Amino acid sequence: MAGLINNWLSAAEQLTVNEAQPAWLKAQRERAGMQLKSYQDPSRKLEYWRYADAGRLAEEKSSSGQLKDLGEVPQWVITISEHGYNLSENWPAHLQVSSIMDAKPEQLKDLDFDQETAANLSNTLLYSQGVGLIAAPSEDSGQVVVIYDFAEAGKWHYVRNQFVLSANSGITVHEQLSSGRINVVNVFDVNSKARLNRLQHINLNEQGAMVGFTCYELAEGAEVISMNWHQGGSLQHHIQQVNFNQSESLFKSGSINKSFDNNNITDIVNVNHHHKNNRSEVTHRSMAKDRSQIFNNAKALVAPGADQSEIEQDLKNILLSEDAKIFSKPELEVYADEVIAAHGSTIGALDEQSLFYLQSRGIPVAEARDIMIESFEQEAIIC
Amino acid sequence: MLTIKDIYAKAGDKDILKGLNLEVKPGEVHAIMGPNGAGKSTLGNLLAGMPYVEPQSGSVEFLGKDLLALDPEERAAEGVFLAFQYPVEIPGVNNMYFLRTALNAQRKYRGEEPVDSAQFLRMVKQKIKAMNMRDDLLKRPVNVGFSGGEKKRNEVFQMGVLEPRLAILDETDSGLDIDALKIVADGVNQLRSADRSFIIITHYQRLLDYIEPDFVHVLADGKIVKSGSKKLALELEEQGYGWLNQ
Ligand SMILES: Nc1ncnc2c1ncn2[C@@H]1O[C@H](COP(=O)(O)OP(=O)(O)OP(=O)(O)O)[C@@H](O)[C@H]1O
Ligand SMILES: [Mg+2]
Repeated sequence: MAGLINNWLSAAEQLTVNEAQPAWLKAQRERAGMQLKSYQDPSRKLEYWRYADAGRLAEEKSSSGQLKDLGEVPQWVITISEHGYNLSENWPAHLQVSSIMDAKPEQLKDLDFDQETAANLSNTLLYSQGVGLIAAPSEDSGQVVVIYDFAEAGKWHYVRNQFVLSANSGITVHEQLSSGRINVVNVFDVNSKARLNRLQHINLNEQGAMVGFTCYELAEGAEVISMNWHQGGSLQHHIQQVNFNQSESLFKSGSINKSFDNNNITDIVNVNHHHKNNRSEVTHRSMAKDRSQIFNNAKALVAPGADQSEIEQDLKNILLSEDAKIFSKPELEVYADEVIAAHGSTIGALDEQSLFYLQSRGIPVAEARDIMIESFEQEAIIC
Repeated sequence: MLTIKDIYAKAGDKDILKGLNLEVKPGEVHAIMGPNGAGKSTLGNLLAGMPYVEPQSGSVEFLGKDLLALDPEERAAEGVFLAFQYPVEIPGVNNMYFLRTALNAQRKYRGEEPVDSAQFLRMVKQKIKAMNMRDDLLKRPVNVGFSGGEKKRNEVFQMGVLEPRLAILDETDSGLDIDALKIVADGVNQLRSADRSFIIITHYQRLLDYIEPDFVHVLADGKIVKSGSKKLALELEEQGYGWLNQ
């Protein structure tokens, strides 16, 4: 039988034949396989795939591109490849790293995937690379840079990372992808009063693809700042899931999505306000050109009793061509009484009057457009 | 400097300019008055190259060039400046950055060296003082949150920085208090020179007390229906436009 899910299941069987797997992983894969069997292949019938071609999950095309230059900030680099992971020589003592395959079973919880997230569930079935990182509090400041470096760029690669931020610790994790096809699940366990800066630069050419699921578990007083740059790619499918598990925490997410040619970009942020007194802010700025498509979705769920929750969802979009499509959806589901929530979504074109104003002062039209696009993006840059 | 010959033009799908002629020589100041909806702004927009104003026939020559064949940014670099009746707000674009980008784009077009930010800052500081403008406006996004009067002053300030050969001021005096009016007039008078010309669109002869025009024209129903000296503005102020039809 053909189909994505069947492909994933038979690839998982191959894994079982080819490598020795610890008992916990075997059990985890079996559970994921069972669950996947009960799902349909991702397709436009599902909301999360309505505005993207899920058929691209089956494609195997190679691509290559340039990593972003990170400048002067001290960097501690983790390179993840077929052969495991590699740490840069200056690796600091307060960050403990091991292979995800050596993780303790109790550290690796089963994530809550459903039919909409079947493509992410395939990660549980197939990952065999990735790291577990534990951060202790430290005076040292620098960025953890995660680079994916897989030789067979045409093939899909499955990576699972788990980051544990101990109480009162603070780290910056910068994820970069510029080529290849990758399915990644990142779990951030942000303990009390810990602070995470998480940056993601995904800049792909027409062949590249990324399916990403990032889960944040926030304890009391935790703070997560998530800044995402998504550009290009045959397929970019990003889901961030945020769980406020105690109070007094903050989650802020900024995204800049830029699509052109035939790119499909999906950017979903689900925030679960399970408890009182937490604040979430989601700001997306998206631009679609040519025949490309973007789906933006910010969803916040406020559980009964989660009073004093504060929620902001601000999605703005610009269509740069007639054939481009953008779907933008802020969503609030509120079961508590005292909640402060604001949400908005707009889709428009570059303002003609402003363009003319810039031109009338001598700025060539192409540059005038760039200036306006840059100013539009500015609002989503939160760090 | 500027020769407009028998121009017909549409704004959107409406015929607005209907056989308009105007000759502006270097150093001259022309005031244009006329009833609401006559086509005054359309004339300014036509000269600056606003996309929805479409010339149908006639010609506009500016410093020996066919103005209508140039893009808006080329016209600006050739020396045309329009102070808008309704300046737009552009969130996220810093005023200083905008103005330096504009100046350097014009200089590049003319084959001149760019001005660096230090030079630019010195120049701007001096001009802003002369314009009596609050300098925090420069750090703000273009026109965002500016009062009506501040927007108009910002237009004149931009004119001062860009030093055009032909400046068209479209009701720059509307909504200004007496002090601001004098400041704006000062800004214009400081720029007046033998090789720079002005077209000043206004409803009030008050502005012309401060900026002495060489000619006053009445634009009605898409063409210049009467031209005269400064005295014409006074007559219009007293009698309105009705008598012109008789
Ligand atoms: N984009 C457009 N589409 C259709 N009609 C337009 C457009 N722009 C202007 N007009 C019309 O053209 C006519 C002339 O407008 P214009 O702004 O040139 O008048 P004006 O003389 O500047 O008037 P005012 O003194 O009120 O500023 C008006 O009737 C106006 O409604
Ligand atoms: Mg007007």
